[in-house]
Amino acid sequence: MKILIVEDELPLLESILSYFSEVGNICETASTYSSAYEKINLYDYDCILLDLGLPDGEGLNVLKELKKLKKNDGVLIISARHSLDDKLAGLDLGADDYLVKPFHLSELKARVSAIVRRKKFDGSNVITFNEITVDLANMETSVNGNLLTLTKKEYDLLIYFLSNKGKVVTKSAIAEHLWGDDIDISDDFDFIYTHIKNLRKKFIEAGANDYLQSVYGIGYKFATV
Amino acid sequence: MKLADRYNRVNIITAIIILLITGVIYYVVIHFIFTEKLDRDLAVEENEIKQYVSTYRKLPLPASFLDQQVQYKQLDKNANGSRFFRNTTFFNAKENEAEPGRSLVTTILQGDKLYEVTITKSRLEADDLVRIILLITLGVTCLLLASLILINRFFLNRLWQPFYFILQQMKAFNLIKMSEIELNATKVDEFQELNIAAVQMASSVRQDYKELRSFTDNASHEMMTPLAVINSKLDSLLQAGPISEQQGLLLNDIYIAINRLTKLNQSLLLLTKIENKLISDLQRVDISELVDEKCRQFQEIFNESNLKVNVDLQSCEVEMSRYLAEILLNNLLANAIKYNRTNGFITINLRAGNLEIINPGKEFALTEQHFDRFFKSAASEGMGLGLAIIKQICGLYNFSVSYSFPEGNHCFTIAFKN
Repeated sequence: MKILIVEDELPLLESILSYFSEVGNICETASTYSSAYEKINLYDYDCILLDLGLPDGEGLNVLKELKKLKKNDGVLIISARHSLDDKLAGLDLGADDYLVKPFHLSELKARVSAIVRRKKFDGSNVITFNEITVDLANMETSVNGNLLTLTKKEYDLLIYFLSNKGKVVTKSAIAEHLWGDDIDISDDFDFIYTHIKNLRKKFIEAGANDYLQSVYGIGYKFATV
Repeated sequence: MKLADRYNRVNIITAIIILLITGVIYYVVIHFIFTEKLDRDLAVEENEIKQYVSTYRKLPLPASFLDQQVQYKQLDKNANGSRFFRNTTFFNAKENEAEPGRSLVTTILQGDKLYEVTITKSRLEADDLVRIILLITLGVTCLLLASLILINRFFLNRLWQPFYFILQQMKAFNLIKMSEIELNATKVDEFQELNIAAVQMASSVRQDYKELRSFTDNASHEMMTPLAVINSKLDSLLQAGPISEQQGLLLNDIYIAINRLTKLNQSLLLLTKIENKLISDLQRVDISELVDEKCRQFQEIFNESNLKVNVDLQSCEVEMSRYLAEILLNNLLANAIKYNRTNGFITINLRAGNLEIINPGKEFALTEQHFDRFFKSAASEGMGLGLAIIKQICGLYNFSVSYSFPEGNHCFTIAFKN
């Protein structure tokens, strides 16, 4: 997919860039409003990551410009402002999603993937990872063509891992993704372990390889060994 | 005691004492003056008698005196002649009654005979005059006192009206609601000054408060970007290559710290936002539905901590922000989970607009202080903002929060309908 990252905080821009850089992805960056303006006029992107507070202009104007150009680029707003009004204004202007800083890169990746999937396939598409197939339109998961029954949380977890395949995903990122970031119970997220365990068990029982690796108390990685 | 009453009391007591003293002095002085005058008149009479005696060599007839009575009494030739004034009675022949009188007793030598002469005049007129003067004085005094009391009662009350107006406004002044103090029209300099001072004080307090709040808001926002950088760098570090178990634990601790810092920042921002009334998505929220939803959301956590959850819900619709309603329930439930006993329970009752959340406590009862920002007991692992947020949200919508500790259970009750 082709992505434009508009962010004025260069260290953050670099991190996002390196996280998204993989085979099949083309990432471009813009750290000012003017360069972002230029790029959206010249190229089409599958998704634009848009920071609202830019040094030389309001990020929301990029959205307005996109609308004026009648472009169908997906837009994910990333903002330091956890404000309902900002969020509504952004979504009203045609943004697809809104993520508040600070965020986990894995969450960002999952959201961008979701936007791109929606834009590209009109909501009906299939993710395939070796013997695992997920039909997103029907929310059906199968291993080697055999349907697998997953709970809602397990399904969400699987999509999350598939969006971040090959990456280490932290437990707190998973907990926030599945339970929302308002949940503030304890610092260890041991309650997600049950879901991981069940998901892994169901896949192994269905004859899939064990792709889920635990990473020393900090998180999990979904990858071919 | 009111200032006016106190002032009145002093005023009236002083007035009475001074008027009494003046009355006495007045009486004594007038009395003295009249006696002096009588005595002078008597001396003139004495003089006339003496001249008469020296001219005609005989005593004047007692009957020839019009306004006074004269009596003669022959004394022994060698007796000591004395001259003095005294108060006596004067017999008024016309009125045929005794009146108070004043006499001059003196001696006159006529030829070789010594006479004691007593000249008596009526004191009645003088006494009447003194009495009338006294009565008028008393009357004026009473009138003065009465008018003083009336003035105090009606005029002073009206005079102090601007003061009470300012006082009432100062009492009603609420920093959080950003209330104003109005200027009221008064011609009294002191009240005008007080009013202006109150208005200025209120506006400077408001200004300071606003600056303080915007500081919190800006500081928290500014912190979000570096936090985002740290978080993303940690995420990148995780992907950089195989990590050892020790590195994993270190990274986990950093993640936990970043997470707490983020939550702290978000909580502070939320508190400022509620205080500034910046949350406006007012809508009908069905609390029972929301509690159900939250219970489902928290299910794994309940199971993980072996908590038995008893829920008894009646429908309850409340006009509030859904966002804040969720935070309110999140905080209440999170507390009930965090400060529970092992294998404990949580009871959630929603009846007649009262939400009750009961869980067995590990320690002792909470105090009022626990609702303060950043206050936490030794065993608490949170930030100390959870209860402050609950209190603030309830305060915003005038829900009452109460806490009790029956049989070692923490029990929070929120009355959505008062």
